[in-house]
Amino acid sequence: MSLLNRDPDSPAVWQGDLPVTSRYTFGVAGERFFRALKDEGRILGSYCPKCDFTYVPGRIFCERCLSELDEWLDAGTQGEVHTFTLLYAGYDGSLLEHPHIVAMIRIGDGGLVHLLEGIDPQDITIGMTVEAVFKPANERQGSIEDILHFKPV
Amino acid sequence: MTSKIKNFPGTALSEDDFTQGTVLYNYDQLKGDFAWDTGAAIGSYLAALKKGTLLGAYCATCRKTVIPPRTVCEWCYRPMQHFVPLQDTGTVNTFSLCYVTWDVQRISDPEIPAVIEIDGASPLHGIMHMLGEVDPQAVHIGMRVQAVWKPVEERQGAITDIRYFKPISDQEEPK
Repeated sequence: MSLLNRDPDSPAVWQGDLPVTSRYTFGVAGERFFRALKDEGRILGSYCPKCDFTYVPGRIFCERCLSELDEWLDAGTQGEVHTFTLLYAGYDGSLLEHPHIVAMIRIGDGGLVHLLEGIDPQDITIGMTVEAVFKPANERQGSIEDILHFKPV
Repeated sequence: MTSKIKNFPGTALSEDDFTQGTVLYNYDQLKGDFAWDTGAAIGSYLAALKKGTLLGAYCATCRKTVIPPRTVCEWCYRPMQHFVPLQDTGTVNTFSLCYVTWDVQRISDPEIPAVIEIDGASPLHGIMHMLGEVDPQAVHIGMRVQAVWKPVEERQGAITDIRYFKPISDQEEPK
Protein backbone atom coordinates (compact mmCIF):
# COMPACT_ATOMS: atom_id res chain seq x y z
CA MET A 1 0.00 0.00 0.00
CA SER A 2 1.49 3.26 -1.09
CA LEU A 3 1.21 6.54 0.77
CA LEU A 4 1.34 8.35 -2.54
CA ASN A 5 -1.94 9.15 -4.21
CA ARG A 6 -2.10 9.25 -7.94
CA ASP A 7 -2.74 12.73 -9.30
CA PRO A 8 -6.31 12.62 -10.66
CA ASP A 9 -5.02 14.42 -13.75
CA SER A 10 -2.62 11.54 -14.48
CA PRO A 11 -2.82 9.90 -17.87
CA ALA A 12 -4.07 6.36 -17.25
CA VAL A 13 -1.72 4.82 -19.75
CA TRP A 14 1.34 5.81 -21.71
CA GLN A 15 0.91 4.87 -25.35
CA GLY A 16 3.57 4.37 -27.94
CA ASP A 17 4.70 2.32 -30.88
CA LEU A 18 7.92 0.80 -32.10
CA PRO A 19 9.08 2.54 -35.28
CA VAL A 20 10.67 -0.55 -36.79
CA THR A 21 10.73 -0.92 -40.55
CA SER A 22 12.58 -3.42 -42.68
CA ARG A 23 13.64 -4.06 -46.25
CA TYR A 24 14.14 -7.69 -47.08
CA THR A 25 16.02 -8.39 -50.28
CA PHE A 26 15.42 -11.80 -51.76
CA GLY A 27 18.99 -12.82 -52.52
CA VAL A 28 20.45 -14.05 -55.80
CA ALA A 29 17.94 -16.85 -56.38
CA GLY A 30 15.00 -14.93 -54.90
CA GLU A 31 15.73 -11.95 -57.12
CA ARG A 32 15.61 -14.22 -60.17
CA PHE A 33 12.41 -15.92 -58.96
CA PHE A 34 10.52 -12.71 -58.20
CA ARG A 35 11.85 -10.92 -61.31
CA ALA A 36 10.35 -13.70 -63.47
CA LEU A 37 7.13 -13.57 -61.44
CA LYS A 38 6.88 -9.81 -61.93
CA ASP A 39 8.04 -9.39 -65.52
CA GLU A 40 6.88 -12.64 -67.12
CA GLY A 41 4.25 -14.10 -64.80
CA ARG A 42 6.29 -17.27 -64.55
CA ILE A 43 7.12 -19.47 -61.57
CA LEU A 44 10.77 -20.50 -61.78
CA GLY A 45 12.41 -23.53 -60.29
CA SER A 46 15.94 -24.85 -60.35
CA TYR A 47 16.97 -28.43 -60.99
CA CYS A 48 19.67 -30.56 -59.38
CA PRO A 49 20.69 -33.26 -61.91
CA LYS A 50 22.68 -35.13 -59.26
CA CYS A 51 19.67 -35.51 -56.94
CA ASP A 52 17.01 -35.38 -59.68
CA PHE A 53 15.21 -32.78 -57.62
CA THR A 54 13.34 -29.68 -58.77
CA TYR A 55 13.32 -26.80 -56.30
CA VAL A 56 10.38 -24.39 -56.41
CA PRO A 57 11.05 -21.55 -55.76
CA GLY A 58 14.45 -21.94 -57.39
CA ARG A 59 17.55 -22.06 -55.17
CA ILE A 60 21.19 -21.49 -56.06
CA PHE A 61 22.36 -24.42 -53.95
CA CYS A 62 20.98 -27.92 -53.60
CA GLU A 63 19.90 -28.54 -50.03
CA ARG A 64 20.76 -32.20 -50.38
CA CYS A 65 24.19 -32.34 -52.07
CA LEU A 66 25.14 -28.64 -51.67
CA SER A 67 26.16 -28.37 -55.33
CA GLU A 68 25.54 -25.10 -57.10
CA LEU A 69 22.44 -25.08 -59.29
CA ASP A 70 22.51 -23.31 -62.63
CA GLU A 71 19.76 -25.21 -64.41
CA TRP A 72 16.70 -22.97 -64.13
CA LEU A 73 13.32 -24.05 -65.50
CA ASP A 74 9.79 -22.79 -65.91
CA ALA A 75 7.75 -24.74 -63.38
CA GLY A 76 4.45 -23.75 -64.98
CA THR A 77 1.60 -22.05 -63.17
CA GLN A 78 -0.18 -25.18 -61.98
CA GLY A 79 0.35 -27.34 -58.93
CA GLU A 80 -1.39 -29.80 -56.66
CA VAL A 81 -2.94 -29.14 -53.26
CA HIS A 82 -0.57 -30.81 -50.80
CA THR A 83 -2.43 -29.68 -47.71
CA PHE A 84 -4.68 -26.80 -46.70
CA THR A 85 -6.23 -25.06 -43.73
CA LEU A 86 -9.19 -22.75 -43.14
CA LEU A 87 -8.56 -19.46 -41.40
CA TYR A 88 -11.54 -18.01 -39.58
CA ALA A 89 -9.66 -14.98 -38.22
CA GLY A 90 -8.20 -12.07 -40.23
CA TYR A 91 -4.80 -10.43 -39.70
CA ASP A 92 -6.32 -8.05 -37.16
CA GLY A 93 -7.87 -10.92 -35.22
CA SER A 94 -11.43 -10.16 -36.35
CA LEU A 95 -13.60 -13.15 -37.11
CA LEU A 96 -14.32 -13.94 -40.75
CA GLU A 97 -17.69 -15.17 -41.92
CA HIS A 98 -16.11 -16.90 -44.89
CA PRO A 99 -12.77 -18.49 -44.04
CA HIS A 100 -9.59 -17.81 -45.99
CA ILE A 101 -8.27 -21.02 -47.47
CA VAL A 102 -4.50 -21.28 -47.19
CA ALA A 103 -2.92 -24.18 -49.03
CA MET A 104 0.52 -25.64 -49.63
CA ILE A 105 0.58 -26.07 -53.38
CA ARG A 106 3.10 -28.58 -54.63
CA ILE A 107 4.98 -27.52 -57.76
CA GLY A 108 7.87 -29.66 -58.88
CA ASP A 109 9.43 -31.07 -55.71
CA GLY A 110 8.75 -27.85 -53.82
CA GLY A 111 5.83 -25.50 -53.86
CA LEU A 112 4.23 -22.34 -52.56
CA VAL A 113 2.01 -21.54 -49.62
CA HIS A 114 -0.77 -19.36 -50.93
CA LEU A 115 -4.48 -18.57 -50.87
CA LEU A 116 -6.96 -20.84 -52.58
CA GLU A 117 -10.11 -19.23 -53.92
CA GLY A 118 -13.03 -20.04 -56.16
CA ILE A 119 -13.89 -23.28 -54.41
CA ASP A 120 -16.12 -24.37 -51.54
CA PRO A 121 -13.93 -25.67 -48.67
CA GLN A 122 -16.03 -28.85 -48.70
CA ASP A 123 -14.98 -29.58 -52.26
CA ILE A 124 -11.21 -29.35 -51.78
CA THR A 125 -9.37 -32.62 -52.15
CA ILE A 126 -5.70 -33.30 -51.48
CA GLY A 127 -3.99 -33.71 -54.82
CA MET A 128 -6.42 -31.60 -56.82
CA THR A 129 -4.84 -29.48 -59.55
CA VAL A 130 -4.93 -25.70 -59.04
CA GLU A 131 -3.65 -22.81 -61.08
CA ALA A 132 -2.08 -19.45 -60.15
CA VAL A 133 -4.13 -16.31 -60.83
CA PHE A 134 -1.76 -13.37 -61.44
CA LYS A 135 -2.27 -9.67 -60.98
CA PRO A 136 -2.27 -7.70 -64.25
CA ALA A 137 1.35 -7.27 -65.41
CA ASN A 138 1.40 -3.50 -64.77
CA GLU A 139 0.36 -3.97 -61.13
CA ARG A 140 2.96 -6.57 -60.26
CA GLN A 141 5.68 -5.46 -57.85
CA GLY A 142 7.94 -8.46 -57.48
CA SER A 143 6.21 -9.96 -54.47
CA ILE A 144 4.47 -13.24 -53.73
CA GLU A 145 1.30 -11.15 -53.78
CA ASP A 146 1.78 -10.74 -57.55
CA ILE A 147 -0.06 -14.05 -57.47
CA LEU A 148 -3.53 -13.10 -56.21
CA HIS A 149 -4.48 -16.66 -55.32
CA PHE A 150 -4.73 -20.14 -56.76
CA LYS A 151 -7.97 -21.49 -58.23
CA PRO A 152 -9.18 -24.94 -59.30
CA VAL A 153 -8.45 -25.80 -62.92
CA MET B 1 38.96 -3.84 -38.22
CA THR B 2 36.29 -3.53 -40.87
CA SER B 3 37.92 -0.35 -42.18
CA LYS B 4 40.84 -2.50 -43.39
CA ILE B 5 38.60 -4.68 -45.55
CA LYS B 6 38.10 -3.24 -48.99
CA ASN B 7 35.93 -5.84 -50.67
CA PHE B 8 33.30 -7.67 -48.68
CA PRO B 9 31.84 -10.85 -50.14
CA GLY B 10 28.23 -10.76 -51.32
CA THR B 11 26.19 -8.26 -53.29
CA ALA B 12 26.69 -4.65 -52.30
CA LEU B 13 23.52 -2.54 -52.47
CA SER B 14 23.04 1.21 -52.44
CA GLU B 15 19.98 3.35 -51.76
CA ASP B 16 19.68 3.86 -55.54
CA ASP B 17 19.15 0.12 -56.02
CA PHE B 18 16.02 0.44 -53.92
CA THR B 19 14.69 3.73 -55.28
CA GLN B 20 15.37 2.88 -58.92
CA GLY B 21 14.06 -0.66 -58.67
CA THR B 22 17.21 -2.49 -59.76
CA VAL B 23 16.72 -4.83 -56.82
CA LEU B 24 13.43 -6.29 -55.64
CA TYR B 25 12.65 -6.21 -51.95
CA ASN B 26 9.89 -6.55 -49.42
CA TYR B 27 9.20 -3.52 -47.25
CA ASP B 28 7.63 -4.23 -43.90
CA GLN B 29 6.62 -2.26 -40.85
CA LEU B 30 6.29 -3.89 -37.48
CA LYS B 31 2.99 -3.13 -35.78
CA GLY B 32 4.41 -2.58 -32.33
CA ASP B 33 1.75 -0.48 -30.59
CA PHE B 34 1.99 -0.68 -26.83
CA ALA B 35 0.53 0.92 -23.72
CA TRP B 36 1.63 0.75 -20.12
CA ASP B 37 -0.15 1.80 -16.95
CA THR B 38 1.57 4.93 -15.70
CA GLY B 39 0.99 4.04 -12.03
CA ALA B 40 0.68 6.40 -9.06
CA ALA B 41 4.24 7.76 -9.20
CA ILE B 42 4.98 8.20 -12.92
CA GLY B 43 1.34 9.13 -13.64
CA SER B 44 1.60 11.99 -11.17
CA TYR B 45 5.05 12.91 -12.58
CA LEU B 46 3.60 13.19 -16.10
CA ALA B 47 0.60 15.20 -14.84
CA ALA B 48 3.02 17.54 -13.05
CA LEU B 49 5.12 17.98 -16.20
CA LYS B 50 2.00 19.18 -17.99
CA LYS B 51 1.59 21.76 -15.24
CA GLY B 52 5.25 22.79 -15.59
CA THR B 53 6.61 21.18 -12.44
CA LEU B 54 9.25 18.53 -11.86
CA LEU B 55 7.91 16.17 -9.23
CA GLY B 56 10.00 14.08 -6.81
CA ALA B 57 9.16 11.74 -3.96
CA TYR B 58 10.47 11.85 -0.37
CA CYS B 59 11.34 9.01 1.98
CA ALA B 60 11.26 10.23 5.59
CA THR B 61 13.21 7.21 6.82
CA CYS B 62 16.15 7.72 4.47
CA ARG B 63 15.62 11.48 4.11
CA LYS B 64 16.01 11.04 0.40
CA THR B 65 14.26 12.88 -2.40
CA VAL B 66 14.29 11.10 -5.72
CA ILE B 67 13.21 12.09 -9.21
CA PRO B 68 11.32 10.68 -11.04
CA PRO B 69 9.12 9.79 -8.06
CA ARG B 70 8.72 6.17 -6.98
CA THR B 71 6.08 4.66 -4.70
CA VAL B 72 8.63 2.57 -2.79
CA CYS B 73 12.01 3.70 -1.47
CA GLU B 74 14.87 1.89 -3.18
CA TRP B 75 16.99 1.89 -0.03
CA CYS B 76 14.60 0.87 2.78
CA TYR B 77 11.73 -0.57 0.72
CA ARG B 78 9.21 1.43 2.74
CA PRO B 79 6.43 3.36 0.99
CA MET B 80 7.42 6.88 0.01
CA GLN B 81 5.94 9.53 2.32
CA HIS B 82 4.91 12.26 -0.07
CA PHE B 83 5.44 13.98 -3.37
CA VAL B 84 7.76 17.00 -3.50
CA PRO B 85 7.69 19.63 -6.23
CA LEU B 86 11.29 20.39 -7.22
CA GLN B 87 13.06 23.23 -9.03
CA ASP B 88 13.41 23.15 -12.80
CA THR B 89 17.09 23.98 -12.43
CA GLY B 90 19.97 21.62 -11.91
CA THR B 91 23.59 20.67 -12.46
CA VAL B 92 25.08 18.61 -15.27
CA ASN B 93 26.27 15.31 -13.80
CA THR B 94 27.44 13.77 -17.05
CA PHE B 95 26.84 14.35 -20.74
CA SER B 96 27.64 13.13 -24.21
CA LEU B 97 28.11 14.80 -27.59
CA CYS B 98 26.18 12.56 -29.91
CA TYR B 99 26.79 12.83 -33.65
CA VAL B 100 24.30 10.11 -34.55
CA THR B 101 20.52 10.40 -34.14
CA TRP B 102 18.36 7.67 -32.63
CA ASP B 103 17.65 6.31 -36.10
CA VAL B 104 21.33 6.28 -37.03
CA GLN B 105 21.51 9.43 -39.16
CA ARG B 106 24.85 11.23 -39.04
CA ILE B 107 24.56 14.87 -37.93
CA SER B 108 27.15 17.63 -37.81
CA ASP B 109 25.66 19.55 -34.86
CA PRO B 110 25.67 17.06 -32.00
CA GLU B 111 22.73 16.27 -29.79
CA ILE B 112 23.75 16.61 -26.16
CA PRO B 113 22.05 14.13 -23.85
CA ALA B 114 22.93 14.74 -20.21
CA VAL B 115 22.09 13.54 -16.73
CA ILE B 116 20.99 16.57 -14.76
CA GLU B 117 20.93 16.57 -10.97
CA ILE B 118 17.73 18.43 -10.15
CA ASP B 119 17.76 21.13 -7.47
CA GLY B 120 15.74 19.97 -4.48
CA ALA B 121 16.47 16.29 -5.06
CA SER B 122 19.12 14.51 -3.02
CA PRO B 123 22.69 14.82 -4.32
CA LEU B 124 23.36 12.70 -7.42
CA HIS B 125 19.63 12.35 -8.13
CA GLY B 126 18.42 13.59 -11.44
CA ILE B 127 16.97 12.87 -14.84
CA MET B 128 18.29 12.37 -18.32
CA HIS B 129 17.41 15.06 -20.85
CA MET B 130 18.87 17.10 -23.69
CA LEU B 131 20.95 20.28 -23.45
CA GLY B 132 20.30 23.17 -25.83
CA GLU B 133 21.23 26.82 -26.51
CA VAL B 134 24.82 25.91 -25.72
CA ASP B 135 28.13 25.52 -27.55
CA PRO B 136 28.85 21.78 -27.40
CA GLN B 137 32.49 22.50 -26.58
CA ALA B 138 31.46 24.65 -23.61
CA VAL B 139 29.43 21.94 -21.91
CA HIS B 140 31.08 20.71 -18.72
CA ILE B 141 30.29 18.65 -15.67
CA GLY B 142 28.98 20.91 -12.94
CA MET B 143 27.40 23.34 -15.42
CA ARG B 144 24.24 24.99 -14.08
CA VAL B 145 21.19 24.53 -16.33
CA GLN B 146 17.47 25.29 -16.40
CA ALA B 147 14.54 23.63 -18.15
CA VAL B 148 13.11 25.29 -21.26
CA TRP B 149 9.43 24.37 -21.26
CA LYS B 150 7.04 24.09 -24.15
CA PRO B 151 4.15 26.58 -24.05
CA VAL B 152 1.31 25.32 -21.81
CA GLU B 153 -1.00 24.59 -24.74
CA GLU B 154 1.58 22.30 -26.37
CA ARG B 155 2.30 20.21 -23.30
CA GLN B 156 1.08 16.65 -23.36
CA GLY B 157 2.15 15.24 -20.01
CA ALA B 158 5.43 13.88 -21.32
CA ILE B 159 9.10 14.36 -20.57
CA THR B 160 9.28 16.16 -23.94
CA ASP B 161 7.15 18.94 -22.39
CA ILE B 162 10.63 20.18 -21.50
CA ARG B 163 12.32 20.98 -24.82
CA TYR B 164 15.81 20.90 -23.31
CA PHE B 165 17.90 22.36 -20.50
CA LYS B 166 19.90 25.52 -21.19
CA PRO B 167 22.83 27.01 -19.27
CA ILE B 168 22.11 29.70 -16.70
CA SER B 169 24.50 32.38 -15.49
CA ASP B 170 25.10 33.41 -11.90
CA GLN B 171 22.74 36.39 -12.31
CA GLU B 172 19.93 34.10 -13.45
CA GLU B 173 20.35 31.73 -10.51
CA PRO B 174 17.10 31.28 -8.59
CA LYS B 175 17.29 32.85 -5.15
